[in-house]
Amino acid sequence: MKARIVAYLLTLWVILTLNFLLPRLLPGDPLSALLDPESSDYVFEAEVRASLETYYGLDRPLVAQYGAYLKGAVTGDLGRSIRLNQPVGELIVAHLPWTLLLTGTALTLASLLGLLGGSQAAWRRGSAVDRLVTAASVVAGNAPVYFVGMMLLILFGAELGWLPLAGGRTPFAQYNSPQAAIADIGTHLIMPALTLTLSLLGIQFLLVRNNMVGILGEDFMLVARAKGLRQARLKWNHALRNALLPFVAHLAAHAALAITGAVFVETLFQYPGMGRLIFEAVGARDYPVIQGVFLVVAIVVLTANLLADCLNARLDPRLAEEVGQ
Amino acid sequence: MSALSRLGRRPSVRPAQIVSAVGLETAVGVTAVVLFALVALAAPLLAPYDPHAFSGKPLERPSPAHPLGTNDAGQDILSELIYGTRISLAVGLGAALGTVALGLLVGAIAGYAGGPLDALLMRLVDVMLTLPRLPLLILLAAFLGSGLAQTMAIISLLFWPVTARVIRAQVQSQRQRGYVKMARNFGAGPAYVLRRHILPAIAPLIAFGLVTAAGRAVAMEAGLAFLGLGDPTAKSWGLMMRFALNLPGLLLTDRWLWWLLPPGLLITLLVLALTYLGMGLEERLQPSLRRR
Repeated sequence: MKARIVAYLLTLWVILTLNFLLPRLLPGDPLSALLDPESSDYVFEAEVRASLETYYGLDRPLVAQYGAYLKGAVTGDLGRSIRLNQPVGELIVAHLPWTLLLTGTALTLASLLGLLGGSQAAWRRGSAVDRLVTAASVVAGNAPVYFVGMMLLILFGAELGWLPLAGGRTPFAQYNSPQAAIADIGTHLIMPALTLTLSLLGIQFLLVRNNMVGILGEDFMLVARAKGLRQARLKWNHALRNALLPFVAHLAAHAALAITGAVFVETLFQYPGMGRLIFEAVGARDYPVIQGVFLVVAIVVLTANLLADCLNARLDPRLAEEVGQ
Repeated sequence: MSALSRLGRRPSVRPAQIVSAVGLETAVGVTAVVLFALVALAAPLLAPYDPHAFSGKPLERPSPAHPLGTNDAGQDILSELIYGTRISLAVGLGAALGTVALGLLVGAIAGYAGGPLDALLMRLVDVMLTLPRLPLLILLAAFLGSGLAQTMAIISLLFWPVTARVIRAQVQSQRQRGYVKMARNFGAGPAYVLRRHILPAIAPLIAFGLVTAAGRAVAMEAGLAFLGLGDPTAKSWGLMMRFALNLPGLLLTDRWLWWLLPPGLLITLLVLALTYLGMGLEERLQPSLRRR
């Protein structure tokens, strides 16, 4: 575990440094352009310009800039948004919960359905239902997530009119009770979460199914069957337990996929999360926001990786270094 | 199974025979990719108009003159779609070549050299694989500027580690083989051994890597254009969807049917065709994956 944590710290440092160096080393000098009256990207508000100058400190030596940047990153000072003239940290705090709600819902649903459906399909491999669901999963897992979302948007949003077309909640809504708030946020969540769930489910279903097919052919399954164990016990205790290992091992990669998908889904549904924030920032060349979102998302993904590693070590004693733990 | 069934057949080749020899997935994938390539090559012959020309009034409904209507600028949507094939395929091919070239270089060096250089390169690969790709892609695209060449370069820079890891494992295992050791003992240099002995062994992996990288690149290019990070002058499918969705109230009319749906469908079809082709190749590489 120690080696893994060192690897994560190294990755974190690479992310922090990349985030610092990229805008400074790339051609075109995008940051200086913000302060250059000749440039088309020039920031006109003096107050915003002053905050940019102090945050980036482009006139100081690179090492001093790096030190100030690292200090800011640790204390949560990520600069000020050019477009909204608001601290980037505050913007992220306002947007992150929406993304966590969306990706968390989708990842949970897709994992549960993927595990149940994948093992069920493997159990009945070759049947018409298995072949149909497997083919559908290849499509759902590989089709671009924004296309899946567009189809749902057209069907449930525009044609049937069952669900709201955009947003995370009704604009300017005043909620009289917590139930009303949950209902409103819930209805707005259905389509984006469903889109992301379908996309993740395709991938997770195939992973579980293919692993399960392998496990069902193993010797220990034959022995368990020969002992006369009941179907349910065979399926859930013997087979699924082993299929769980590769599933958990891939969970971090799926969390990263969920975040990638969320950027598209949030853009499509105008959902007020981090994806939407970075999308709008890109349009306005709002570099502090782009960098801040990148940093926070990278740390979220990294944490997910670490958690999945710990979970995996716990589930699979062979992976844990300490014997008996 | 395919080898056996081939033995008993007459020598004349029928379509069904090809399908059974290469597998349904590969056959479907190859056919679709070839069709897309033909459309891309014959775009000037197939497209009724220049996609940049203002050939009609804005937002025309489908008519004999404009089979899929016109966009908000009065450009023919069918022609945009046909020319868009070129962009998707060019980016797919360019980015796939870039990804595999970088992956091959790093993988071959790491696998062949071994030792501390291998450890260093593989640590780099580990770090790259942990980085969240899309946010990094957005960061790079935002700072590098948007053009098709940049898009290809960014995708290649982010996706090579996957290929590098696979290639390294294969190179490493080949290096241990008797005939490679023998060649080295006879004084063959690294370049000779890599080209003569190791390249043929990793060629199938390269083919598989190219196909999967192309699929990812097509989806990514369209995604970046959709997010507004692509080349704003290149009429790609992703950009078409972006413009369509930017029209207020698009979904309240039936306009999405000929403006939004076709580019989305084409991206999905091309990505799926490459996916099927990759799955077919993967099955041939690892017979254990064959359906049980």
